[in-house]
Amino acid sequence: MSKPLLSVRDLRVKFRIDRKNLFEALKGISFDVMPNETVALVGESGSGKSVAALAILGLLPKENAIIDPASVIEFGGRDLLKITPAEKRALRGSEISMIFQEPMSSLNPVFTVGYQIGEVLREHKGMTGTAAEQRAVELLREVGIPEPELRIRYYPHQMSGGQQQRVMIAMAIACEPKLLIADEPTTALDVTIQKQILDLIAELQKKHGMSVLFITHDLAVVGDIADRVVVMRHGEIREQGETRAVFANPADSYTQALLACRPVVDSRPKRLPVIDDFMAGRGHVMRSETRTRGVSESDPVVLEVKNLCKDFYAREGLFGKKTFHAVKNVSFKLRKGKTLGLVGESGSGKTTVGLTLMRLHEATSGEAWFDGKNILALSEREFLPYKKRIQIIFQNPYASLNPRMTVGQIIMEPLIVHGEGGDAQSRAKLVFELLAKVGLPEMSFYKYPHEFSGGQRQRIAIARCLTMRPDILICDESVSALDVSVQAQVLNLLQDLQDEFGLSYIFISHDLAVVKYMSDEVMVMNQGEVVEHADSDTLYASPKDPYTKKLLDSIPRGIPGAAAHA
Amino acid sequence: MTAYIIRRLWQIVPTMAGVILLIFLLFNVVGGDPAYLLAGKISNAEQIANIRKQLGIDEPYWYQLLLFVKQVVTFDFGQSWSTNEAVSSIFATRLPNSLLIGVPLLILETIIAIAIALVVAYKRGSLTDRSVMVSCTVAQSISILVYIIVLQYVLAYKLGWFPVQGWGNGFFENLFKYAALPIIIALAVSLAPNIRLYRTFLLDEVNQDYVRTARAKGLSENRVMLVHVLRNAAIPIITNLMIQLPGLLVGLFLIERFFSVPGIGREVILAVERSDFPVIKAITVYVALATMLANLLADLLYKAVDPRVELK
Amino acid sequence: MSAAHPVMNPAADIGIERSPGLWSLAWRRLMRDRVAVASLIVVVAFLLLAVASMFGWVAKNWNSEIAVNYAPPTLFKSLYAAATEATKGEGEKGPEVEGLAVQRQPIVNDRDPLRSILDELRAQLGQGAEGVEEIKIVDPLADVIAELKKKLGRVDGAIEDVGEDKKAPHLAFGADKWGRSVWDKVVKGTETSLLVGFAAAILATVIGTLLGAVAGYFGGKTDDFLNWFYSIFNSIPYILLVLAIAAVLQKKGVLTVVLILGLTGWTSIFRVVRAEYMKHKARDYVRAANAIGATHMRRMFTHIFPNISHVVLVQLSLYVVIFIKSEVILSYLGFGVGVDTVSWGSMLNEAQNELILGYWWQLAAATLFMAVLVTAFSLFTDALRDALDPKLK
Repeated sequence: MSKPLLSVRDLRVKFRIDRKNLFEALKGISFDVMPNETVALVGESGSGKSVAALAILGLLPKENAIIDPASVIEFGGRDLLKITPAEKRALRGSEISMIFQEPMSSLNPVFTVGYQIGEVLREHKGMTGTAAEQRAVELLREVGIPEPELRIRYYPHQMSGGQQQRVMIAMAIACEPKLLIADEPTTALDVTIQKQILDLIAELQKKHGMSVLFITHDLAVVGDIADRVVVMRHGEIREQGETRAVFANPADSYTQALLACRPVVDSRPKRLPVIDDFMAGRGHVMRSETRTRGVSESDPVVLEVKNLCKDFYAREGLFGKKTFHAVKNVSFKLRKGKTLGLVGESGSGKTTVGLTLMRLHEATSGEAWFDGKNILALSEREFLPYKKRIQIIFQNPYASLNPRMTVGQIIMEPLIVHGEGGDAQSRAKLVFELLAKVGLPEMSFYKYPHEFSGGQRQRIAIARCLTMRPDILICDESVSALDVSVQAQVLNLLQDLQDEFGLSYIFISHDLAVVKYMSDEVMVMNQGEVVEHADSDTLYASPKDPYTKKLLDSIPRGIPGAAAHA
Repeated sequence: MTAYIIRRLWQIVPTMAGVILLIFLLFNVVGGDPAYLLAGKISNAEQIANIRKQLGIDEPYWYQLLLFVKQVVTFDFGQSWSTNEAVSSIFATRLPNSLLIGVPLLILETIIAIAIALVVAYKRGSLTDRSVMVSCTVAQSISILVYIIVLQYVLAYKLGWFPVQGWGNGFFENLFKYAALPIIIALAVSLAPNIRLYRTFLLDEVNQDYVRTARAKGLSENRVMLVHVLRNAAIPIITNLMIQLPGLLVGLFLIERFFSVPGIGREVILAVERSDFPVIKAITVYVALATMLANLLADLLYKAVDPRVELK
Repeated sequence: MSAAHPVMNPAADIGIERSPGLWSLAWRRLMRDRVAVASLIVVVAFLLLAVASMFGWVAKNWNSEIAVNYAPPTLFKSLYAAATEATKGEGEKGPEVEGLAVQRQPIVNDRDPLRSILDELRAQLGQGAEGVEEIKIVDPLADVIAELKKKLGRVDGAIEDVGEDKKAPHLAFGADKWGRSVWDKVVKGTETSLLVGFAAAILATVIGTLLGAVAGYFGGKTDDFLNWFYSIFNSIPYILLVLAIAAVLQKKGVLTVVLILGLTGWTSIFRVVRAEYMKHKARDYVRAANAIGATHMRRMFTHIFPNISHVVLVQLSLYVVIFIKSEVILSYLGFGVGVDTVSWGSMLNEAQNELILGYWWQLAAATLFMAVLVTAFSLFTDALRDALDPKLK
């Protein structure tokens, strides 16, 4: 076997939090990257995977990061932790390069992309301005940017997110590096763009014979791209090996849980297994029980939306204004105890639909019939009682809870606002019941949101909605910000609540697998319009609309080697 | 772009109207009868009667307001109550002197403050950084009056390096002889806050993702700071400079007063001391107009230095 | 909030401690910062001094002439002696040097407009130089002053003979030209500064926060109108506006200064608070409050305000510093507090002329007090900002 290109041995990194406390981000990890190989570093937030990447490049903040002196990062026969800063600089961008999660903020906003690509060439290859520019054009062409001669004059903000990431990749491969580190390069991108970028990286890897260290939280992506996989949790490596082997036969219980708790499109278990199930050794049974979904005409309708439209306006010219149609003629029926999934990429208008139904935006036109009334036509005062019956759970659990209120106050607030729930004592009693229902300990009552994790906060938000005993719950990307293992727990909770209270859900998400798992019917939205609306099993099995097909094709299947053979 | 400028110029109208109304309320309604105010300051009864007429004091408020608007539009505020000098001539003769101190000061303070801010931002968290920052805090805490009194006493009076005060006629005589000490003192006062501000601007940029990218590209720390960070920090710095521009017109009133520099600032203080309303009104109104135009210019410049900005 | 949640503690039944809120966490962070604690102690000391002076416990008789004119300070005696030694170069020592120190004024620039005054002084001192023991001679204007005092009836007639003996020859901080204690004056000045600083800061903060909250929260026409109002104030340079108002309000006094500073200074907090409200009203927690049916008032004050109050607090703290400095300048120019009270600004005004005569202590006292207070307050503000920084959560 050949010598590894990169060899990390016993890497320990600590961060100084304040004068007394240290946080151990990496607890001695070891792994290798062979020449011409793609290795995936997988883990949920806090696993230390990004810290490892930054440590390899020597980009950890000098002020508070402490690397253990016994650690070794060997690259091409040299220990990167021992060489001088100047030597390290010469390696960066030429031998080892890196791309990041947020392409928009990772590019300097005030320089053209041509200048920024050229800068690497001028720095490492000593190229002159014109030569560097010509090479930049070639590179842009190579990463698939149309009209590269024109685009090198563009500033980053004039390009789409996918194109920005292509520019980052062009910059990274400019000097033909031996190792490309990709830190969550597709997390911020839509699913169709994600697929393009993944294919591009795989293609470039082959063509240039470079090694790729691919860092991600998404195991499904790993399956498509990596030769080997390293699974991390809490700064430790849980398991590493050939991707095929790890996927087929995971040895570690955490890896098993990660693989199992993400919903997949081809099956639908009654409950999603969660990490605790695997740690307790009962994960495997859970997959077997399945659930059937779908609606029939006999199910009662709770909400009927007709021709909903929402326009936004932007100023243009001296007197003119530009109209942007965020939602165009959306109509649907929501049935009792059922879930309507709403999928689409960013800018499709799916979130606007939810906010308009809550009257958090005023609709431009259209009707929404609920309980015999068109709730969009009611005055603010008349609408107030209906606010109790339609509730919403937002995407970011860190933003949707008021940080200055205790959990008890947050959950009790709807009762106070509407003057319900009796006296303080009985209100508090109800809060304790709800806390138990969403699986939070009683002592949460007097705690503040900042003391809870993302998943727990989302439970608090759910409990707040439940105080009003709503008929309809709108889940706006409610699990998108959560790690997969936590996501499974919250999805299970939502499912339990639907089963118990007969709630109707409008489930908005960009994640096709999650929508498939949760929904009875699915609506696909693109640029403000509904392009397809069907029972979820029907839609996923035989999509009719070309956009739906494209969307479904882009889902990472989690099958090793899929991208390579695409 | 043109549409934007036209709209912005159009927006100046209501604000200007507000400024005129505010000044009118202050001086004609709240300020009361100037004859009463001036009784002790100008003994000439005929002159006071003249002023009353000029102001239309005995006329209803709407007429007085109309008169004021006419003054603003025709750029004719009449004459100073105390010196009888035409207000327009006060502008013409005092403004160049204020600018002679203000412009070199603004240039020097910007260059020096950016240089020092770059050094401390580069060495952020170090002893140098902290001691510069503490010195800035202390320096900012001492009143500008103390700087003037002490530096004038020591450098001019005791050591005789500069004239204690005065103003000449030649441009170079004024710049190098009389303006030198005022500029030095003003620099001593303004450096500390500017260094702190620019350091904040620079540090805001240092933590951005693109700086990490620049390092990942293998660029030297100098290039990261001087090209990538400084170019981005230049955006708020330039905005800050544009905000300071209208201040040039008002002059450094305390310094002008101490050094007997015949500038606008000294004129303002004299006018306030003498309740010389036409002079104060004229200066206030026109400086407000200049400020609004400077703000417009700042936005246009903002567009020039920041490619992300679109003027709508 | 507390009104909505009456004291009721079901948690006590199950034995749970209430968690510390963000405020108490910020306070703990602040107390861990040594600079913050030190500067807070200094600020509190100044506040106590100001309160004591307000109630007349100290510096009650600041306006009475308890010492000889320009009585030298003894607190810095050794320092002072060393300083005169340095400027002198030779010979003279002891308390009699004061007059002579003036005599030894250095070569003065020939353009010096004060030269004539100085020559006159020299001439006067030359005459009296033999009788240095007569302290009156120290002040060339003593005769005039005495006469003035008589006219003003401030002192009983016996001043020249009997009173003069009872007066202290020197004080810890020295005396001014009337023989008033510089210590008492500087303490009284502390009271004025803090009173003006805090009162004006609170006034400006209340106006700016209310208008900013309304403009930022409601947006639309309301915002347009308030923004127009703001742009009027903002387009007139601050100092010009202050002076213009000072020109109109002929009545001098602490209240006038507070009004001038407060009514002109609200713009910066308006801008900040408006921006915060615009940002927060679109946040999910406010949308969530809207979704459960909370009213506008409830969203504005129960939900958003506690979340931006740290910005208001920091701005308030900044205002105190700015207004203390502004008051000093206004009083220096004579547009500030009247003659019936002391301000560091009016002290600096007197000190300016005294410095040329070699009486540096009033200048030193006012400068030192102001610099220490403002430095401490600024450092505290910085620490407060860091401790309240939501990014640290």
